[in-house]
Amino acid sequence: MGSLLDDDVKLIASAKTGDKIAFGKLIRKYEKTVFSFAFKICRDKEKAEEAMQETFINAYRGLKSFSGNSKFSTWLYRIATNNCLMMHRKKSHEPVVSLEDTELIRENGELQVPHWGETPHDAILNKELKEILDHAIQKLPLEYRIVFVMRDVEGLSTEEVGKALKLSVPAVKSRLHRARLFLRNELNPYFTK
Amino acid sequence: MKFTRHKKYLLQVCKKVDRDLDSPTCKKLREHLKKCPDCAAYYDSLKKTIALYRNYDIEYKGSCCKEVLARIELEKALRATPARKTRPRGSRRS
Repeated sequence: MGSLLDDDVKLIASAKTGDKIAFGKLIRKYEKTVFSFAFKICRDKEKAEEAMQETFINAYRGLKSFSGNSKFSTWLYRIATNNCLMMHRKKSHEPVVSLEDTELIRENGELQVPHWGETPHDAILNKELKEILDHAIQKLPLEYRIVFVMRDVEGLSTEEVGKALKLSVPAVKSRLHRARLFLRNELNPYFTK
Repeated sequence: MKFTRHKKYLLQVCKKVDRDLDSPTCKKLREHLKKCPDCAAYYDSLKKTIALYRNYDIEYKGSCCKEVLARIELEKALRATPARKTRPRGSRRS
């Protein structure tokens, strides 16, 4: 279990034997991470809480199949992703959006890049901006949104994202590239007013 | 300036936006960004996009531990309890 933290190795081994105290410790250790990730995908507090609970229930059920080849957190990301996808499919009819990047080109084929002004720093995102960020990312198809959140927001490596989502590295890179462009273009009018 | 001349750099900008531009592999791109305000603006806007989403977090203050463990217990108890035999509809007790 080279990629696992020592603490986790012991807790997982105990939890596999049915030790609920050990599993409780794992929940407490990772619940904030799982909630934060689920919120960034669902953009809804209640849905994120539901996805988090289901993630830990599913993790307990499947704990024996966890081999330890990846980090425990990467495994949880995968389960949380599946839960978010299932919840999303149940409730939504996602509109088809184009991820083509055409905004930069004028009709005459010239490059046009408006300069962004200052963006709010750190935690001082106001309500209006949060709504804009939510709106933009909710337009992004879920399979792209998940890659963007895992790689750019949560900071997983491209390989870890690929493992968690069972995607090849080029597929992760391609989705990430399109997601970044899409979001940048969605936010562009707000910062170039 | 024509878009096609910059397309290569704009693609690189997007791919390398999370990497350290000081690395040797990014040398050409770094040099181009110094000379081209449009590509530099594009690079800057992509970085800001990522930073905005990184900074937008919501804190979870509670704990789901009790609920999760209670549900696991309940599931175990349900599995351990033999299913009750139900009489077919319309049948009467003798």
